[in-house]
Amino acid sequence: MLNYILRRLGAGVLLLAIVTMVTFWIFYVLPRWAGVTPEGMAAMYVGKAPTPEAIAATVDRLGLDQPIAVQFLDFLRTLLLGTEYTFGRETVECAAPCLGYSFTTNTPVLEQLLNRLPVTVSLGFGAAVIWLIGGVAVGVLSAVRKGSVFDRIAMSLALVGVSLPIYFTGLLSLAFLVHTWDLFPVPRYVPLTEDPVGWFQVMILPWVTLAFLHAAQYARQTRAGMLETLGEDYIRTARAKGLSERKVIFKHALRPTLTPIVTIFGLDIGLVLGGAILTETVFSLNGVGKYAIDAIVAKDLPVILGVTLLGAFFIVLCNLVVDLLYPIVDPRVRIAA
Amino acid sequence: MASTEPVVRVDDLRVTFPTLDGDVRAVNGLSFEVPAGGALGIVGESGSGKSVTSLALMGLHRGTKASITGSIEVTGKDVVAATDRELRRMRGNDIAMVFQDPMQSLHPQYTIGDQLVEAYRVHHPKASRAQARKRAVASLERVGIPEPGKRINSYPHEFSGGMRQRVVIAMGLMCEPKVLLADEPTTALDVTVQAQVLDLLDGLRRDLGMGLILVSHDLAVVAGSVDEVVVMRHGEAVERGDVRTVLSAPEHPYTRALLAAVPRVEVSRAQRRAADRAERAERERGVQRAEGADAAERGGFEPFTPAAPAAPADGEAPLLRVQDVAMCFKVRGGLWGRTMDFWAVKGVSFDLHRGETLGVVGESGSGKSTLSRMVMRLVEPTRGRIEFQGRDITHMPERRLRPLRKDVQMVFQSPYSSLNPRVTVGDAIGTALRVQGERDTKKVRLRVQELLERVGLEAAHYNRFPHAFSGGQRQRIAIARALILKPKLIVCDEPVSALDVSTQDQVLKLLSELQDDFGLTYIFVAHDLAVVRQISDRVAVMKQGEIVELGDSDGVYENPRSDYTRSLLNAAPLLDPDEARRHRAEREVARAAL
Repeated sequence: MLNYILRRLGAGVLLLAIVTMVTFWIFYVLPRWAGVTPEGMAAMYVGKAPTPEAIAATVDRLGLDQPIAVQFLDFLRTLLLGTEYTFGRETVECAAPCLGYSFTTNTPVLEQLLNRLPVTVSLGFGAAVIWLIGGVAVGVLSAVRKGSVFDRIAMSLALVGVSLPIYFTGLLSLAFLVHTWDLFPVPRYVPLTEDPVGWFQVMILPWVTLAFLHAAQYARQTRAGMLETLGEDYIRTARAKGLSERKVIFKHALRPTLTPIVTIFGLDIGLVLGGAILTETVFSLNGVGKYAIDAIVAKDLPVILGVTLLGAFFIVLCNLVVDLLYPIVDPRVRIAA
Repeated sequence: MASTEPVVRVDDLRVTFPTLDGDVRAVNGLSFEVPAGGALGIVGESGSGKSVTSLALMGLHRGTKASITGSIEVTGKDVVAATDRELRRMRGNDIAMVFQDPMQSLHPQYTIGDQLVEAYRVHHPKASRAQARKRAVASLERVGIPEPGKRINSYPHEFSGGMRQRVVIAMGLMCEPKVLLADEPTTALDVTVQAQVLDLLDGLRRDLGMGLILVSHDLAVVAGSVDEVVVMRHGEAVERGDVRTVLSAPEHPYTRALLAAVPRVEVSRAQRRAADRAERAERERGVQRAEGADAAERGGFEPFTPAAPAAPADGEAPLLRVQDVAMCFKVRGGLWGRTMDFWAVKGVSFDLHRGETLGVVGESGSGKSTLSRMVMRLVEPTRGRIEFQGRDITHMPERRLRPLRKDVQMVFQSPYSSLNPRVTVGDAIGTALRVQGERDTKKVRLRVQELLERVGLEAAHYNRFPHAFSGGQRQRIAIARALILKPKLIVCDEPVSALDVSTQDQVLKLLSELQDDFGLTYIFVAHDLAVVRQISDRVAVMKQGEIVELGDSDGVYENPRSDYTRSLLNAAPLLDPDEARRHRAEREVARAAL
């Protein structure tokens, strides 16, 4: 078991290293191939009226004229060991893991990310709880009452849910639920630690909006899985024991159905933690996703890079957790592992 | 057996399923009784309604569209009229069920202990977990699971098929039911394991005074274990009575046909062949008289001539020579995920002459399928040498192997999954011709249609899809597909094990006729000893990757030299109830001696 965990951890670290390399390649090497000069890249960082001297200084400071290999090693060193940025007389320390320094906001990227992370985490976990419970419950009910009115309505709604983008459902709910009918407060994020009730009131609408999309997918998955499981021989065995229908469904049929759901859940939550760009933008939540989109608009390279790495980190982490959970969910994996 | 009141009484049972083409009567007016402690066998081919009957006994049709009339009484309670709650109280408590496939009938994600405990506590909610657990250990011990105290924490996948079936039986015994209903409990198991499970059921019935209902498609399986037998066909009981009477003096023609179709270990290859040829000659005379003599010459195939005995001329090189072949698979396992070598086949040698049939018998895991795949060169042997028509094909690259492929064809076990459901029968058979370079579509079509007729189907079946055919017909299609390239050697991997006995009989007849007609050479792989004897000139008995005995088929069956062959033969199900019981007694003695 320990060996299994170590191997999965090793694979996770390797994957992160590869993602780092690819990200670096996209943001530093690709522009060069496209013909952007070091000066051109530096120009992005130097205010509105760049003087040639300022640009040259920036090129020098960021090492943009160095060979790619040197730049990459610099990038890695900064990431692993931290660095210091000097602006005239002022020196800013950027401790490891240093994701760089944003020159548009004049702050270290990591600090910004960590400031915004609680918003994204609140959004992601809250929505995940809703979509997991809601989606699975609807899926189970639909499967058990296959062909009923409930099943048909739920599956039609699920189809609608999968097809509707967040900027449609989100804006619609903002327009009616918040502004026209005044059912929810205008979203302005309040940290959980300061005002739990306020936090809940603000977050409920983004949660539901984000969850709706995923819940639809989970409901369909659960229904399909459940129908398959209900046809298995061991379900017949369970019935032949004299178990009640509730036990047959929730103890015997639900567990095998959830096994594949756990896998996609790990991926989805990792994805959302890396920034739910649309939801955060629609509801003006200052989370990682909003940070990313602002950085993309401002062409703030270090921030884009940082957000990408953070997203990759969460996906790798969540996958790792799922891999480690899997033997608990399905004992057959224990032997194979 | 003091009470004369039957524990199960079924009276005029009718089960109907509504379908788009009208109602299907799966069971139509069935009646039988099982006295307390008695044993009843229900025998029928697939589609006879025997499984529908056993599900009805458990009330497991609830919630489906089936409509049930008539009465089913289990320990005096009416299953048809019972409320869901009453029914649940009966299930597992009054009547317990053992299912066909032990691989599928246990929940893969709970330990067997959890599943056994649950079976007890659902009917004894006041019992503590510890009590239920103690009972579970006792129950596992009773069905012969070694070290039950430890094994109770294992998951189903950590047991072999036979052991799992024991666990299912142990689960059935948790509440000491009055009746145990076993629906094809041994169909998925090896012969020796089948014998063990049947012996176990028989012993439990005696020890616990339980009623037993044994459902099977195989008369030989129920013969030694039941007092009374019901033969079912199309949802009706065609014959019902004492097992000895039914088997020795069957009244109904269907029972007689069924009995005739059961392959018997004691019938030799020569006897069977003689009978088949005589029957065929008879049939053909009739056809010729009707059609005139011109029907004989057809297509590119030689007409039927009784083939010379398969004995090879001395000095003639064998068609296939297998020398000391071995196959090693890398298996990941162990604590550190190290790969280990698993030798599926270790050092097997034999020669196979033109026109001969080599039977390969063995239980699952004996390496017989791996061996046939090596002969086909679907896998490359790790060691050894395979010569086909004098050419070494052991490590021949795929490109050079391709022209030889048409000389060696294969017929697979499952007629359901070995045909692509989206390809018409004609295409499935004709593709091989096209692959080998035949461009003329008309010619291909003609050849395929001839062949369809030759294997007992109709030319008009050319454009149909596989789902329109029964299992036996599909196997005929698979045989036609193997024949289209006029191969010299056909490897049949369990070609009849998925079929009903009567269909099995017809397919065996067909294979034997085709051998006469085309001078085919067969390698016939199967786990059923009787089937292998009737088709093979020589038999190889395999165990754990090695041939433990190889010889003339009559010799192997009548004077087995190896202990393993003897134990296999002893475990083979027999049609004669008294003989079967004698074998059981012998097995018990042998087991006690261990």
